[in-house]
Amino acid sequence: MDYFSEGLTKAVALLLALDPETFSAVWATASVTALALIASLLMGLPLGFALGHFHFPGRRGVRLFVDWMLSLPTVVIGLIVYAFLTARGPLGEWGLLFSVPGMALGLTLLGLPIIISMTATAVESTDSRLTQTLLSLGADRWQLLWATLTEARFAMALAAATAFGRIVSEVGIAMMVGGNIKWQTRTITTAIALETGKGEFATGIALGIVLMIVALVVNLLVGLLRGRANGSAGGHRAGGGRT
Amino acid sequence: MSAPLYRLRGVEAGYGEAAGLGPLAASVLHVPELSIAHGSIVGLAGHNGSGKSTLLKLLGFLLSPSMGDVYFDGRLVDQAALRAGHLLRRRAVLLGQDTCLLKRSVAANVFYGLKVRGLGADRRAVDWALELVGLDPVLFARRAWYELSGGEAQRVALAARLVLRPKVLLLDEPTASLDEESALRIREASLAAREQWGATLVAVSHDMIWLRSLSDEIVFMRGGRLTEAPSGIHGWSAVSVSA
Repeated sequence: MDYFSEGLTKAVALLLALDPETFSAVWATASVTALALIASLLMGLPLGFALGHFHFPGRRGVRLFVDWMLSLPTVVIGLIVYAFLTARGPLGEWGLLFSVPGMALGLTLLGLPIIISMTATAVESTDSRLTQTLLSLGADRWQLLWATLTEARFAMALAAATAFGRIVSEVGIAMMVGGNIKWQTRTITTAIALETGKGEFATGIALGIVLMIVALVVNLLVGLLRGRANGSAGGHRAGGGRT
Repeated sequence: MSAPLYRLRGVEAGYGEAAGLGPLAASVLHVPELSIAHGSIVGLAGHNGSGKSTLLKLLGFLLSPSMGDVYFDGRLVDQAALRAGHLLRRRAVLLGQDTCLLKRSVAANVFYGLKVRGLGADRRAVDWALELVGLDPVLFARRAWYELSGGEAQRVALAARLVLRPKVLLLDEPTASLDEESALRIREASLAAREQWGATLVAVSHDMIWLRSLSDEIVFMRGGRLTEAPSGIHGWSAVSVSA
């Protein structure tokens, strides 16, 4: 236990002293996560909305594909992205391997199906009663689309928080595509793996504390959003609410 | 004598094939002739599945007839009119069985219909509508949708329609699973719609006492058809039907 408490003490000291190496990993994590999350949201929200709202041929096939993407092991995603970005790969000339944008690309493939799937589910679950309510209040086609989108906002935010949690804590893709390069692509998770392997528990624990705080905040946010999203299941059923 | 507000001739309607949506379903509504006078309050009674809600959706322009003609306010509702259906729905507003509140404050819910009509935020109108359904604006206007009881939510949904001062108010089982006080408030507010701006009302309910206390006339339905009134029910001046 001594070495654990000693590691914890050192970890707190590293954080309080704003240790450059520790905070380099925190910064890399923040950059990669922000890029991947923004890309996932920009593509995933409209695609998820379209998948949940519109009925088109092949919709079930698309849904199956997205759900399959959800279950892909991250190491496989890392392998595929690595194969594309390596010098001999089709995107090799972009020079993205072992870079923050390259890692963000890989992590986007992790976050995108989460955003699409959860957004589509949110829109599907609100659609039937909400559509009739909006139409009966006089909404035209565009007002109907916009209101449906805004009514699913809590569920979409929940999707974003869930994707954030997955992206920020991912290690396989970050390690394979980023290469765990100190001061550049070393993220919190890859640094923890490395430092623990070297027996440097203090740095690992310090980074672990940061990650746990992030996880706690995300979980609190997810809990709050889930409450809001489920609070009325697509709007309060008039006549069927709290009694 | 002025033309009736609604006139239906040889109307058939339903879901699926009858509505041009698919091969499985057939017509669930058959109305050889029905006229509803301006400013009348018509009750619709009948067993589950008798076509009451389908008729309300047709009158609310949420469902198109597969056959026959619908005249509204002296004009034939043709395909061109139905393409701009929101303009019709802004005159004939439905409070449906599956109505839900938007995930917004009470005031925002009541205001939504005015907003889609391009009218500015009118807090006085919102307060007036809430008072009409027996809700104190000071206590309720800022409440979130999930802070309402079933009865309060239903009254907010009605206020969201009354604030529009619609020409026609269509009520589909508005008192289902509500307590006596809420049912009474909804009746009073509905009657006020006719008294204050001459609205025409069509209401569906299984609560015959409530329905008779509201309606000038009661129309009975069975198997998608309008039928003769059971003995003891009199008066067909506002509604003329042909079974």
